[in-house]
Amino acid sequence: MDVIFGAFPFMIENVGLLLAKTGDHLIISLIPLLAAIVIGVPVGVWLGHIHRGEFLAVSVTNIGRALPSLALIAILIGFVGIGMLNAMIALFLLAFPPILSYAFQSVDSIDRDLTRAARGMGMSPVQVLLKVELPLGLPMIIAGIRTSAVLTVSSATIATIAGSGGLGDVILNQVAYGMEGVVAGAIWVAVLAILVDQAFALLLRVAAPAGVKRLQVANAV
Amino acid sequence: MTQHSTGTSITFDQATKTYLGAAAPALDALDLEVEAGELVCLVGPSGGGKTTALQLVNRLVDLTSGDIRIGDRSITDQSAIELRRTIGYAIQQSGLFPHYTVADNIATVPAILGWEKKRIRARTAELLELVGLSPVDTWLPRYPAQLSGGQQQRVGIARALAADPPVMLMDEPFGALDPITRVAVQDEFLAIHRAVGKTTLFVTHDIDEAIKMADRIAILKPGGKLAQFGTPAEVLSNPADDFVGEFLGAERGLKRLALTTVGEVVSDSHDRAGAEAETADARTTTAGWPDVEATMTLREALSVVSAARAEGAIVHAGDSRLGEVSLRDLIAPPAAGEDREGVRA
Repeated sequence: MDVIFGAFPFMIENVGLLLAKTGDHLIISLIPLLAAIVIGVPVGVWLGHIHRGEFLAVSVTNIGRALPSLALIAILIGFVGIGMLNAMIALFLLAFPPILSYAFQSVDSIDRDLTRAARGMGMSPVQVLLKVELPLGLPMIIAGIRTSAVLTVSSATIATIAGSGGLGDVILNQVAYGMEGVVAGAIWVAVLAILVDQAFALLLRVAAPAGVKRLQVANAV
Repeated sequence: MTQHSTGTSITFDQATKTYLGAAAPALDALDLEVEAGELVCLVGPSGGGKTTALQLVNRLVDLTSGDIRIGDRSITDQSAIELRRTIGYAIQQSGLFPHYTVADNIATVPAILGWEKKRIRARTAELLELVGLSPVDTWLPRYPAQLSGGQQQRVGIARALAADPPVMLMDEPFGALDPITRVAVQDEFLAIHRAVGKTTLFVTHDIDEAIKMADRIAILKPGGKLAQFGTPAEVLSNPADDFVGEFLGAERGLKRLALTTVGEVVSDSHDRAGAEAETADARTTTAGWPDVEATMTLREALSVVSAARAEGAIVHAGDSRLGEVSLRDLIAPPAAGEDREGVRA
């Protein structure tokens, strides 16, 4: 118990160190996350729109889940060496599958009668996508991003073994920072993951059209 | 209603659809002419190709061979997207967009067509009135989830009518409604159809719905072949083959009685009663006969007479007594149902 309570004085005393490490930590986790969003959302949404590639989306997800990040980093050291790039590639591979598969599901699972009605009334494929599929899929797309966000921010901790910095430097260095430091770093990472997750939840609440927000409320009840 | 386009004919010319990889056509050389302003029901068992026939018209499904014309113009003369914007389309479960308000749902096609906001607002309000959702302002901001099934279906019809298309396609639009709501929405749609005169192709698996709604019924049988095309009275009186007879069911004779109202046969019985009185034949005693309204169908009146264990009924129109009908008049009406307008009026 002393160790846990000791973590808080550690945070106060080492706030400078933790903030510096947090900066690195966010860089190595958010850049791969953004890359995964930029590639995964359009690809997933498009595959869902044409109702093709379920096999691809599912396979990528399963392979992604099965890959141990630690092993990935070790293997990547052989290819790209030590440093931030190594960690970011590994985290991208971790973040990509949930984003792709949620984006695919979000559009693929929309009631076919709705898209048939939309096409039947004379919407072009792009209009069906922008007016019907994307708004209705948005909550699920964001859910995929949130899953990946938590995953990358927490997993970025092990990036320290690739020498890329971040809060893992504190957590995996008990010799230097003591058990208090390890626990403090762990709590710090957990809070960071929750904050990033909530930031994307907020994005949905702010950015979603009124009708989509209503659906959210209706589903939550 | 403000001005609206009158309907345009729909002509199926050897229209055939064979789906990719299917051995037999889903719709086999359909020849069918739906006249301008007419309401034609496509009925048949699943596998009869009725939904395929409907979706061929707005090119959600592409023809394998043959042609379909709206007015004089082949549906392949313009892009599928342009074509669809000139055709009203309503489907089962209404197909309303759950993230759109009632107003936005109805405005879907006008918005795509780039109408001015003011014109869209006026049209939306007009349509809501037409489908019986008033006061308009209370319905416009609602979302589909806040409406009952019947209300959603009404909005679905309003949406299909929004850009005033000359042709309407309806794919089992009332299939998901409970029986009471369905009757109400059917009646309203018939009234709207009379008012706006859109040529309407209406798919249903419910033969009773077809008998009630249609000017003419097209019965499709498995393999996508047209078994019979005619008015409800013609089809019920003279089924073209065993398939149609079986499809219409054992109560076909009773269904036919539903095409005629008591009001249409009462005058006939009057004349006959007069003639029979002169021959001093035994006068029918009308004691104990139940009262029926002239607007009732023969089928309904027969039910009343049967329940009363009587030999006939006294016919009223409001407070005035029109005459009486005997059991014989009810079950063997002269030229039953030849005049469809009589039933509707």
